[in-house]
Amino acid sequence: MRRLLHDMNPSVKFIIVTVSMLTMAFFFNPWTPLLFWLGILAMQLTMSRINWKLWTLMMLPFTLGAAGYLWTTLVFGADTGGEVVGSFAGIEVTDKQWAHAWSLTFRVMAFSTLSLLFAFTTNPVTFVMSLMQQLKIPPKIAYGTMVGYQFLPVLKDELNQIRQAQRLRGIGRDRHWGQRIAGTRRLLIPMLAGAVRKAERAAFAMEARGFTGERRKEFYQPVHICSRDYVLAGIFLMVLAASCAGGVLLGN
Amino acid sequence: MRQPWKLKEVVLASLFGVVFGIVYLVAVHFGNIWAGLIGPIAYEWMFGIWFIVSILSMAIIRKPGAALLPETLAAIIEVMIGNAVGPRLILTGVIQGLGAEAAFAATRYRHFNLAVMMLAGAGAAVFSFVYGYFVSGYAALDPSFVLLMFTLRVLSGAIIAGIGGKYMADGLLATGALRGYAISRTKQGGARA
Repeated sequence: MRRLLHDMNPSVKFIIVTVSMLTMAFFFNPWTPLLFWLGILAMQLTMSRINWKLWTLMMLPFTLGAAGYLWTTLVFGADTGGEVVGSFAGIEVTDKQWAHAWSLTFRVMAFSTLSLLFAFTTNPVTFVMSLMQQLKIPPKIAYGTMVGYQFLPVLKDELNQIRQAQRLRGIGRDRHWGQRIAGTRRLLIPMLAGAVRKAERAAFAMEARGFTGERRKEFYQPVHICSRDYVLAGIFLMVLAASCAGGVLLGN
Repeated sequence: MRQPWKLKEVVLASLFGVVFGIVYLVAVHFGNIWAGLIGPIAYEWMFGIWFIVSILSMAIIRKPGAALLPETLAAIIEVMIGNAVGPRLILTGVIQGLGAEAAFAATRYRHFNLAVMMLAGAGAAVFSFVYGYFVSGYAALDPSFVLLMFTLRVLSGAIIAGIGGKYMADGLLATGALRGYAISRTKQGGARA
């Protein structure tokens, strides 16, 4: 039970998550995103085993962003009419604006929770392998992405090296954020030049070992879709449908 | 212009995706702090940062898809390295890439000067804004506020992505690392060190 979301086929999960997000975009009542958010939280709680401390930490910036949405919509909301429910600092808020503001806020929360659900329960390598096997992404692109992913730690080290080398040659630390923005070019150009050389070397190495990039039917690490994925997709869609229906009912 | 993509070009696009994936992550954290204070408009002026990889890669590779693919790969890699924006980001990447691609396609992949690159940055901004309008529910906001956001984003796309992308491509060309790519084969490649 606690492994269900982790074992779900990544492509199916990806499609379901995307569909849910696009569906949410049609609703401007506060209840639909709120119900959906609670539903996703319940799924995360019962069907996965994650580090909740880290989850809370990751959720924090989104909560801030959601607060930004709340007051932006209250202050700059479209003039949709309705009764005035309150005023603050000379800004009158109508009931419709109030509902819209909470709707957008809960939408941000629902989106973030859904995203974290994907991020916390999906293995990146399996995700790309599944994209190639289920969604038929060309192997050239799939393995090209994997190369990039594997180079991530190398590029991080290189960034530190470039920084240290520049400091050795007497380039001071950037203090203001203005200096930092101006200084990005000094760091980015050597990073990118290094990336170009690494890309060339990796591509030659792959081709030298017989990688042609042609599509194939059999894979070294097969990723399957099984009955569990259909059940989970069904649960997701039921939560989605229930929150849409519930939102419309409660909204009236 | 119907050459197939070489593997080294795909891998290049992917590595650029990684480098910019890191830049984007930093930018998102920076933006989130602002966003709590001043709302979603916080991202608008810096939106161009997200389009640079399209324009830079197109300047170097100069093939159909050279704006779309790297932006998509950058998004996939961002999701892989744990960007909390999640899978939705891949769709965003595709849409931004298409916007930049549209500008280059409109000039039939013949011109890669500053004007076209700024146009591509603006194109990416327009596409991403239309998508954002839908997904983030800007319809609930005051039209004049939305217009302000839109203008900021297009300007940011043209200036940060267009001019910035061109600036990066020139800087990179001068390092001599780009021998063997389309950018070095044209007359403008005279700047090679």
